[in-house]
Amino acid sequence: MLETISDWLQSTALSHAFISQGMWSWPMSESLHFMGLCLLVGSVGLVDLRMLGMARGISFDAIHKLIPFGVAGFLVNMVTGTLFVIGDADQYIFNDAFRFKMLFMLIAGINVLFFYSTAFQNTRLLGPDADMPVKVKLMAGISLFCWIAIICAGRLITFYRP
Amino acid sequence: MEAFFIWLESGDLSMWVRGESGWHMAFPIIISFHALGMGFLVGVALAINARILGAAKAIPLTLLKKFMPVAMLALLVNAVSGILLLIGYPTKALTNPVFYIKLLCIALALWNLRWFTTAILTNPVYDTGAVPKRAKKLAIISTILWAGAIVAGRLLAYTYNQIMTL
Repeated sequence: MLETISDWLQSTALSHAFISQGMWSWPMSESLHFMGLCLLVGSVGLVDLRMLGMARGISFDAIHKLIPFGVAGFLVNMVTGTLFVIGDADQYIFNDAFRFKMLFMLIAGINVLFFYSTAFQNTRLLGPDADMPVKVKLMAGISLFCWIAIICAGRLITFYRP
Repeated sequence: MEAFFIWLESGDLSMWVRGESGWHMAFPIIISFHALGMGFLVGVALAINARILGAAKAIPLTLLKKFMPVAMLALLVNAVSGILLLIGYPTKALTNPVFYIKLLCIALALWNLRWFTTAILTNPVYDTGAVPKRAKKLAIISTILWAGAIVAGRLLAYTYNQIMTL
């Protein structure tokens, strides 16, 4: 089943086009993937750190204005990441580091949905010096941990090629 | 120079980094720390740049300085991990012009970040008031420099002339 998906992905025109650009498409997409990573850490990471108690004086609502940069970084990384998987499917689909990365992305995704549906509205009302409720700190901790794990697992993909 | 490369590459630390001491995880772990440090250092720098350029105006600019310890810890992590990677593969990095471009981009971007933290992020006037034009120009240049450092860094895996002298 996975092998069929992998073979099919690598037989697509997009896969051939992406691979055949050789020197440019792959390294440049990787560079974009790293820039997206920096945007994500520089927005979601800083919001998480504020929720955990760092940088008092900046309200949650103010630091949260950085989130669009994180969303932009995430979109860049979804596009470039998808290109990597399509371009060299079997190197990812059967790769344990990649599987762990996807697992942590799933946990981060559930965590962020949970935060926005249960705590976001109340957190926005907190003042600049507010200490966050334990529940909010826990969600920020999970988010930060997941993104750190995602970066490490992503970096480890090269070393776990099947 | 060749003698120096050979001396370095045959050392215990260099072999440990390359995984030749029997433990293969040294290199993957060091390079993971290098990616993490990049995320936090460049992430904080980009947040400061974005705020200087007019984004997220609700954040009092001087208070962004409170994230600088994170950026400086990340810089330390990357200096240590970067030096370890260099000790592992000195020929690979030092014989590639792209490596010097990466270092130059980082040096200039850090110099600029220092200027931001000492001259701009210390003045409460900018918390709500207009930021000088010069700072805005430098925020754009800084963003380009960080992007340049990232591209050059990634290209090191593709553009080297020689992996080892040993």
